[in-house]
Amino acid sequence: METLILVIIGLLVAPLVGGLIAGLDRRVTAWFQSRQGPPIMQAFYDVAKLFGKEKMVVNQWQILCAWVYLIAAATSVALFFAQGDLLLVFFVQAIGAVFLVMGAMAAKSPYSQVGAQRELLQILAYEPVLILVFVGFYMVTGSFSIDAIWAQDIPLLAKMPLLYLALGYALTIKLRKSPFDFSTSHHGHQELVKGVLTEYSGPYLALIEIAHWYETILVLGVCALFWHTNVAWMAVLLLATYMLEILVDNTMARMTWRWMLKRVWVLGMGLSVVNLIWLYAR
Amino acid sequence: MSNLLLLLILLPAVAALVCYFVRSSAARKLTVLGTGVVLTLASLGLLGQGTFEPIAVGSFLGISSDFLVTILDFALLGVIFYYGIKHKSILIQGFTLAQAVLLVWFELVMVEHEAVPALMGDQLSLIMVLVISIIGSLICIFAIPYMKEHEEHLHLKTSRQPRFFFYLVLFLGAMNGLVLSNNILWMYFFFEVTTFCSFMLIGHDGTEVATKNSVRALWMNAFGGLAFVLGMMLVYMQTGTLNISAILAAGPAGALMVTGVGFLCLAGFTKAAQVPFQSWLLGAMVAPTPVSALLHSSTMVKAGVFVVLRFAPAYAGTFLSTGVAICGAFTFLACAALGVGQSNGKKILAYSTVANLGLIICCAGINTPLALTAAVMLILFHAISKSLLFLCVGTIEQAIGSRDIEDMRGLYAKHPRTALITIIGILTMMLPPFGVLLGKWMAIEAAADSNIFVIVMLAMGSAMMVVYLARWAGSMMGTREEGARPETQPLLTRLPLTLLCLGAVVLSVASPWIYNSMLAPWLGSTPFVVGFGSLESVHGTFIVVPLFLVLGLGLLYAVKAASGYRKVKIVPPYLGGANATTDGTYIGPMNGEVPFAASNMYLGELFAEGKLTSIFNALAVALIVLMLGGAL
Repeated sequence: METLILVIIGLLVAPLVGGLIAGLDRRVTAWFQSRQGPPIMQAFYDVAKLFGKEKMVVNQWQILCAWVYLIAAATSVALFFAQGDLLLVFFVQAIGAVFLVMGAMAAKSPYSQVGAQRELLQILAYEPVLILVFVGFYMVTGSFSIDAIWAQDIPLLAKMPLLYLALGYALTIKLRKSPFDFSTSHHGHQELVKGVLTEYSGPYLALIEIAHWYETILVLGVCALFWHTNVAWMAVLLLATYMLEILVDNTMARMTWRWMLKRVWVLGMGLSVVNLIWLYAR
Repeated sequence: MSNLLLLLILLPAVAALVCYFVRSSAARKLTVLGTGVVLTLASLGLLGQGTFEPIAVGSFLGISSDFLVTILDFALLGVIFYYGIKHKSILIQGFTLAQAVLLVWFELVMVEHEAVPALMGDQLSLIMVLVISIIGSLICIFAIPYMKEHEEHLHLKTSRQPRFFFYLVLFLGAMNGLVLSNNILWMYFFFEVTTFCSFMLIGHDGTEVATKNSVRALWMNAFGGLAFVLGMMLVYMQTGTLNISAILAAGPAGALMVTGVGFLCLAGFTKAAQVPFQSWLLGAMVAPTPVSALLHSSTMVKAGVFVVLRFAPAYAGTFLSTGVAICGAFTFLACAALGVGQSNGKKILAYSTVANLGLIICCAGINTPLALTAAVMLILFHAISKSLLFLCVGTIEQAIGSRDIEDMRGLYAKHPRTALITIIGILTMMLPPFGVLLGKWMAIEAAADSNIFVIVMLAMGSAMMVVYLARWAGSMMGTREEGARPETQPLLTRLPLTLLCLGAVVLSVASPWIYNSMLAPWLGSTPFVVGFGSLESVHGTFIVVPLFLVLGLGLLYAVKAASGYRKVKIVPPYLGGANATTDGTYIGPMNGEVPFAASNMYLGELFAEGKLTSIFNALAVALIVLMLGGAL
């Protein structure tokens, strides 16, 4: 029963908070750039407007893929709130990622094709890191289930700090922030137009936007697990992490996929492996 | 009971002879269909009767069956040696001769011929029999219309189909014999029969490249056969028995025996095409597609992983076990990486097979109940999905004349049924809640206990597999014109495709019960508890049925939304210029129409086959030497 309530909370609250974070993100970014920025609720206004637009697609696969992306993202968040198995949450999330790519590939458009290839490279970069982070959780708690984490009496950050840093890489990629935002550039005038999202418009783009909010909450949720003992510190950790993401986003130029693969595999995996070796040695 | 066993092993041999000698295509069709049906029923009947203790097989025409197997053994070695001379391959001749000499010594000097019950059936054998008999039969049935068209392409004067179906059907009997063997000499015999059948099938088309690749397959597997004989001798020296169930019950007793088992694993590695032996399986791609499907899913390579898995209790907790796990994980990573660089559909499937076999072997090496469960789940579900995908590639190849995934772009437009089944097949290979992913999930959870190298290799390999499978599935989607002609397929093509596709999905839903009824009794201990259609363990929980319900309903909704697309405005894609009237072109310089083209990124600089293969082979040889050396 308790699980069911948590799941419902997750399903309803996650997109709201996700949208709010998107709005805040734009405000803070504007502040960095000495602009005023849009209202905090802007993300919701955008999505509402998109829903009101005419439905246009290149073919039916896009409709299917947009919906599956949203459903998979929501399911993974629900599983996360149900204190489920971290690896399984991650694999369910991967359904969404894969369908986003396939939807982009279904359209005969150079921009969305290139975006899809780059998105695949992003998956290639963050997937191993995330799996290793989850193995780290297993090493500490003896289980891949989230509920085992609550039994720990000190914050996991103390035992797996390097894994948290590695998770930062995955977070940057998953949030599509610079320097890793090359599959969907935020700005319409850039060379990619909008990457994987090029061919999505109107209500279907809105679905993808909401799915992205779910994913934001999922990744931040994983970050939150690192300080489960105290809600205040958890909030501080999340705030600091997200602020750092925005800072990085605004101070870094976009990089190439080669640069990303090298960084994330060598540094991200390196950090993870070193941390895992501590945990094994213990 | 023994009637069923005889049926499973001998009926394919008899049917093979009928296919060979009765040169009428109608009779051949009936024989293959009938054999398929009987084998399917017999394997289900065997499952219904449950496991059985090792039993003796009497004598044929007054000759003891053990003696008969010995005679056939030497006859087979003779035949292989003959082909070694015919193709002027010193390697084949050498490995076969060495096997024969060692075997003579073993049979005449070492073994005191006491009676060993020849056949046994534990849950592992029964699952393998199901995989071989049902999936194998479906592939043979698919081969009937396929080979007809194949030969029409080749413009042959006399059909070579009798020979083809002889080896194809015989293969199933040999595999059933292999997995049911309790006498290690019987296992060796069937092991060699599968080597020979695959050699004949790979070289079937008789072209220069087919012959070259079949010879390579034969020498590599003859090397595996030699390793098997050596392993058998060492194990016998320590334990003094040919009885496999007695060997397994003894456990890892002494360095001599563990080394022997190490050689048996090496034999399994060659048959399962683990790096550095992967080249024979990739070369086998020149054979007609049903052969590839058979080799990759229900026979041959599964014989390799079966041997490694069968002897898992005999090396549990030893250094050899760790070595096997690392070798398997390395193959998983290496072949996943090599797959990223490929655009040939069959090659992608081949590398993904070898990678998955590596994962299965890695699980056997981790050797905990959880890992062994993962191994069997992977064997089962990989066989279904992979056979489906190979048959799809075969169908596509005959339809569009290419097996390159770049040529499959937008396949949905012309061949919607085939494209859809292929896409579903690909999804069952990599996404939850399907069986292959369930196996991978179990493997990663089990590997978290074992070894840091293993887990890192699994994490990286698993991401790479997603890349090459996802881009393939995505590129087949495309726009279908309104009122386009529906796709037609012969019934015997459509039937196996549909059944395998359904099987991949339905059996995935049933995985908790498959675990409960088949795997838990086999392991003796239970890593999982089944509750609410979920597999729960101390490591974590995979909620199979609820996930199926949620995602299934979601998918239904998405399909419904997508099927209303005629009401939605269909627009041409954005091409960064004015779209021309023809689909996929834009108005370029001089007002000309410029067609748009895109292709996948194959990351040649990182994942080039030519560059990586030699490095991976060298590393793999080092790991195998380490594995065997450490066992001593």
